[in-house]
Amino acid sequence: MDYNGAALVAMVGKECVAIASDTRLGVQFQTVSTKFQKIFQMGKRLMLGLAGLATDVQTMKERIDFRLKLYTLRENREIKPKAFMNLVSSMLYEKRLQTTFYTSFALFLLFSRFGPYFINPVIAGLDNEGKPFISTADLIGCSTESTSFVVSGTCSENLYGMCESLWEPDLVPFKLFFTAGIVEVVSNVHV
Amino acid sequence: MLFSEKTRTLDSILNADPVDSLFSDLLPTANNNLARHNFEVAPVKEATSFVKKWNNSCHENLKIKFNHGTTTLGFIYQGGVIVAVDSRATAGSYIASQTVKKVIEINPYLLGTMAGGAADCSFWERQLALQCRLHELRNKDRISVAAASKVLANMVYSYKGMGLSMGTMLAGWDKRGPGLYYVDNDGTRLKGKLFSVGSGSTYAYGVLDAEYDNELHDEAARELGRRAIYHAAHRDAMSGGFVSVYHVKEDGWEFVSRTDVAELHSIYKTDQFLPVS
Amino acid sequence: MSERYNFSLTTFSPSGKLVQIEYALNAVQSGATSIGIKATNGIVIATEKKLSSVLVDETSVDKISQVNEHIGVVYSGLGADSRILVKKAQKIAQVYYNIYKEQMPTLQNVLEVASVMQEFTQSGGVRPYGVSLLMAGYDHQGPKLYQIDPSGSYFAWKASAIGRNSTNAKNFLEKRYNKDMELEDAVHTAILALKEGFEGEMTENNIEVGIAVKDSFKRLLPQEIRLYLSII
Repeated sequence: MDYNGAALVAMVGKECVAIASDTRLGVQFQTVSTKFQKIFQMGKRLMLGLAGLATDVQTMKERIDFRLKLYTLRENREIKPKAFMNLVSSMLYEKRLQTTFYTSFALFLLFSRFGPYFINPVIAGLDNEGKPFISTADLIGCSTESTSFVVSGTCSENLYGMCESLWEPDLVPFKLFFTAGIVEVVSNVHV
Repeated sequence: MLFSEKTRTLDSILNADPVDSLFSDLLPTANNNLARHNFEVAPVKEATSFVKKWNNSCHENLKIKFNHGTTTLGFIYQGGVIVAVDSRATAGSYIASQTVKKVIEINPYLLGTMAGGAADCSFWERQLALQCRLHELRNKDRISVAAASKVLANMVYSYKGMGLSMGTMLAGWDKRGPGLYYVDNDGTRLKGKLFSVGSGSTYAYGVLDAEYDNELHDEAARELGRRAIYHAAHRDAMSGGFVSVYHVKEDGWEFVSRTDVAELHSIYKTDQFLPVS
Repeated sequence: MSERYNFSLTTFSPSGKLVQIEYALNAVQSGATSIGIKATNGIVIATEKKLSSVLVDETSVDKISQVNEHIGVVYSGLGADSRILVKKAQKIAQVYYNIYKEQMPTLQNVLEVASVMQEFTQSGGVRPYGVSLLMAGYDHQGPKLYQIDPSGSYFAWKASAIGRNSTNAKNFLEKRYNKDMELEDAVHTAILALKEGFEGEMTENNIEVGIAVKDSFKRLLPQEIRLYLSII
């Protein structure tokens, strides 16, 4: 979880949400790239942020994309943020189940990477009625919703500190954008 | 004693009985190296191994944490010595400060750099400053860079294995001309023309080794030092903040510049791969 | 023929028909009648519960089943086959719920059940299900009534009838259906449609009725059915 590093934050405002991340990709303390994407648009009003092991960030993004496209094709509608959170959550837990079931089969190890995906997702979006929604989950899919802000990544303590002091209810989009931005910049350990 | 310590004359200090002297505890004594500073030592049989245990413990949470991580460099060229440092102090992945002064101005002709434990560096280089001043008073002459570095090396050597953490460079100008020494907590003392110390040193060496030339002009040399630190600060998460550059010349050191890494980034990003000169 | 090979029983006749499916439809046609009507504010499904003997405890037989919160299903054809399909439908809905923590939309469930039924027209060593289903549910897409046949094909209906006498019942529905019909009216119409060609006296114990309203499905209790019967 600390290998590549990330700082992710999502906030609720007045009829809006904001999500922000850094773009650093590091190997421990070595900065490898400063253009690494960690936030992905999953729908018109749905964003997904992934903090954690970079390889898992990318694989999970692809896997979630796949499931989401199947969903939209099959149901002919955009997924609601809450259902999306549950989808991500069950995908993460599925991995845990697989690893528990298959540990006894040595062969399985030949075909699959062992263990859960090392990521902390953050979801931010607006539902059909335009109601803000933000949530996080741990690496095996225990999800938590919030009506204020959620943080994730290697410097979550710092992010919490900044959010606690800067966030207030019903911020308008412009202000929310900058609040999230400042939280991101100030808390970020390795910008 | 009749007069207060403040009013002691220079003479009384210099001629005082070592035992009675204000500085007696700083003077080397042959038999009792450890007691020189009257530091409280862990009340265990083997202080060395005790300290080692808490510094290298497998249990990360129990480890004694102090500020770490740096990039510093120094090199000698035709125009003197360039010393450049960053200003970040980290504790784990947390940035404790972005405004640390990592160049210690020992006297107008001597600079020390700071890498490793911030407390250890500043304390021992201050002790060194004191010894250098004493040397000047006793000998009516400035201490050489060689001697100064040896004093420091000897001091830290007496605490070897007890957890001191410092990687320092001493840069100065004496009768022999420009001088540059590397001293660390193992007691290592190396004379050289080019050093870089700290977590970001490999990155700095990359720039330095590619662009260094003894015949560099002053401005090019200063720019090289600045750029090497900038690149290290960019790649190494434990380095960053501001880049400070000093130039040591025959008439003593001169503070050159202090620039925000972010500012340098906006300058350098346009010609990231162009040579310095 | 080697035992390693296991061909599908459902093979094309030279004229392009799948006779096994036609046989399955025959099984449906000879099964008890089921009716489904979509109203403006819900859907009703109803069926006759014809028992082979008066000695059977009719309270133990349920022909209308609930699939999830808002989906109900009724069948015509082989009761045993339908139980398997209902179990699958329920499980599919539950798996969906486990993933999204949202009730499975009716159409999604229909789609899944239909593919199960289709699979049994093409796999080796199996026979098609001898049932047609009427699946009713009211979700974000509004009230919906689907019919799924043994071939795996499915249609959405305003009103439909399957099983014995279904042609007559459909004729009846065609006459009586109107798109502004409300649920109460639809229940009456369904019962009346069942009555067409009903043998013997219709009681609360020999028919079953289920109604789906927004986000909820329920089977009517015998006393509730009796109420409807009393005011026909």
